[in-house]
Amino acid sequence: MFNPVVAGITVRATLGRRRALLFAIPAVVLIALTVVLRASNPAGVSWPANVLGTFGFSVLLPLTALIIGTGVLGAEIDDGSVVHLLATPVRRRDVIITKFAVAAGLTTLFAAVPELIAGLLAPNSGKLAVALFAGAVVGAVVYSAVFVLASVMTTRAIAFGLLYVAIWEGALSNLVGGVRILSIAHYALGVANAIYPDHDLQAGLSLSTSLILGAVVTVGGLYLATRRLETFSLAGDPA
Amino acid sequence: MSVIEFRNVSRWYGNVVAVNDITMDIGPGVTGLLGPNGAGKSTILHMIAGFLEPSKGTLALDGTATWRNPEVYRRLGLVPERDSVYAFLTGAQFVSATAKLHKLPDPEQSAAWAIGLTEMAEAQDRKISTYSKGMRQRIKVAAALVHDPEILLLDEPFNGMDPRQRLSGTIQVMVAGRLAASGDFRAIRRLMTSRPHVFRVKTTDDRRLAAALVGRDYTHAVELTSKGLQVRTSDFGAFCEQIAVIARDENIRLTELLPTDESLESVFGYLIAN
Amino acid sequence: MPTESISAQGRPPAAGGVIHDLGYQRYDGPRLGRRRIVAALAWHSFRSAFGFGRGAKSKVVPVIVMIAICLPAIINAFAMSRGNARVVNYDTYAPVLRDLIMTVFVAVQAPELVSRDLRSRVLPLYFSRPIKPGDYPLAKYLGFTAACLVVLEVPLLLLYAGSVANVHGGAAVWAQTRALIPGLLLGVMWAVSLAAISLFLASLSARRGLATGTVAIALLLTYTLAEILLQVETQAAINAGPRFPGGPQQVTIGEKVAGLFSPFTLFDGVRRWLGGTNFGDNVPKVGAFGAVYALVLIVIVALSLYGLAARYRRARLS
Repeated sequence: MFNPVVAGITVRATLGRRRALLFAIPAVVLIALTVVLRASNPAGVSWPANVLGTFGFSVLLPLTALIIGTGVLGAEIDDGSVVHLLATPVRRRDVIITKFAVAAGLTTLFAAVPELIAGLLAPNSGKLAVALFAGAVVGAVVYSAVFVLASVMTTRAIAFGLLYVAIWEGALSNLVGGVRILSIAHYALGVANAIYPDHDLQAGLSLSTSLILGAVVTVGGLYLATRRLETFSLAGDPA
Repeated sequence: MSVIEFRNVSRWYGNVVAVNDITMDIGPGVTGLLGPNGAGKSTILHMIAGFLEPSKGTLALDGTATWRNPEVYRRLGLVPERDSVYAFLTGAQFVSATAKLHKLPDPEQSAAWAIGLTEMAEAQDRKISTYSKGMRQRIKVAAALVHDPEILLLDEPFNGMDPRQRLSGTIQVMVAGRLAASGDFRAIRRLMTSRPHVFRVKTTDDRRLAAALVGRDYTHAVELTSKGLQVRTSDFGAFCEQIAVIARDENIRLTELLPTDESLESVFGYLIAN
Repeated sequence: MPTESISAQGRPPAAGGVIHDLGYQRYDGPRLGRRRIVAALAWHSFRSAFGFGRGAKSKVVPVIVMIAICLPAIINAFAMSRGNARVVNYDTYAPVLRDLIMTVFVAVQAPELVSRDLRSRVLPLYFSRPIKPGDYPLAKYLGFTAACLVVLEVPLLLLYAGSVANVHGGAAVWAQTRALIPGLLLGVMWAVSLAAISLFLASLSARRGLATGTVAIALLLTYTLAEILLQVETQAAINAGPRFPGGPQQVTIGEKVAGLFSPFTLFDGVRRWLGGTNFGDNVPKVGAFGAVYALVLIVIVALSLYGLAARYRRARLS
């Protein structure tokens, strides 16, 4: 199922490019912001929920997942080097699962872990940090599956992913209630809220709903991605 | 013996026909696909590799279609033309990773063998991003050979490769989606070497060299231009050997010696004309 | 091009070579000048910003963006037709929604204009024409600014049309018109600035996906940062209470500075400086400090344009 050779190549490819800056910077900013706010200690302001929730969850997590998730397979498809991978007896299913695992792992590393660190640094928010970490991990997993699927289906995966994150999750799902079941951010929030209920999180889904929907989206996404990769067609002559 | 059989294979995109009614057999050994841009070579390659389905006709390796059949890669080696390869890996890492992906029993040894075969041992620990175009081609060939496939397919095999590295084998020449010529590499190569070659020579005394060359029977034509001597010769082997001797005898120093028509297009044009 | 022919019989060519007449005709008539070239490039860029000239998939994001950004205007028309007053303002429109939508638009479309041409190496073709080196990025900038202008102003015009249709009397219509004008002018500021910033950021990478990511992260990161700082400072100020008991709430320096960190809050700061009252992006009443906002904005735009031009100057040679 999981192919270590593919994983090794993918990790090296993702971390070795300039792309890596894009998802390293937000993590650093999150932690830096936490340190600065803690040091300046504005009187009586509960800022952790803002920083960890708004910045960490609503911006850092989805964007990091987007850059990493669309990159693990998308970058190779984009420059054609995926041929070297596909012209081997490795099963397409294994390719997808491995890429997905790498994406989820790296997203956890660059989004969930900084979230945890920031949470532990911020005053009075240890429990919140753990809750958000758990939610972020769930989010990383589901986002990665969806973005890997997107990168197999279209070369414009980042564009559509951004549309989804900014408009669907950013704007609409907070306005219209029913839309939440289709929002990965809300699955993550649901998990976080179940561990440490916090009104500021504005989570709308229960734990079981979040986990079930998250699992369905993940498995479904990976299945579709595998099917799509099996019938993957390369363009003809670059004439 | 593994054979790839094309039977009336066509492939079109909308109303653009990329490959037009191809019937041919590709047997074991090395086969190179030649042809101008847009001739359909990459399409053929991708169909053999199972990345594209023929719009019409059948394409089979030993009786089974290559479409959606990953097993076919055990017997097939692919060297695609597009330059893209994992530039952040070293040559050795790339080939040995390919060996592991093929689940070979001893990947490191197979990789070493393939790298030795393509004479890349010296550069194998450098990142592929530092390679020249010819070296990238060779490392791709190494990766394609590492599992010892029966059939090796090369797209645009002459692109960027040194004349010494051109492996012997079969050539399939494609023009505008159709198969224009196929045959043994050596036969075509002979055709190539028997055509007139054009060289440009710059020396310290063009006129005297020209006079000396005109008398030789391998010299077809000599022309004095502002950029140096243009020499047309029918036997470039003899010419290359003799030019240095002549220059030394006449006390002329050669400052530049270039073949001016080694492009694939001109070779191709010559093949088509014949 | 070869200056001699290789004939089938192997006849040696005449000394000096021959140029063949392939029917190529010299054109000696009048040629359109620099301005027309720039205009043509700008028009082409404008079209590319909406996906015209490429396949259907390129139009998906622009279309969704237009629909999304027009929704508040449509909803407002609906609400007003039921007798309510206008719910959406001309100058702030729907703040968060507009910020996000514009981010998506410039992040996805700017690379269509500047990243792909850097990658495909067609630039020498353009620069062998009689235009100055700065003209090419200028044309792109003009085209993209116009495109952003469309995305920003069309909703305002829809809002206006929807409002005017639901009010009666010349005075009411005039009131709507007077409210519309500042909104339109602010839209110009938005378009001019966002186009510059996004084009510059997009030109930094040759891959379209990376360029989109860069613009998106830059804009969203700074926006969220500024918002957090603003909220924190505002909250701290409220907690600290007014300077004089019973007096008005002072706007602290912290609040004022916090808004400098993001283009969107800079827009809002300038808006408030110029007299805007209602809350947009939480930027407080800035007073004279608003001049700093304007200055910072101008500097950022200037730097972006300079960077864009520099990028094309360097890329030209590759």
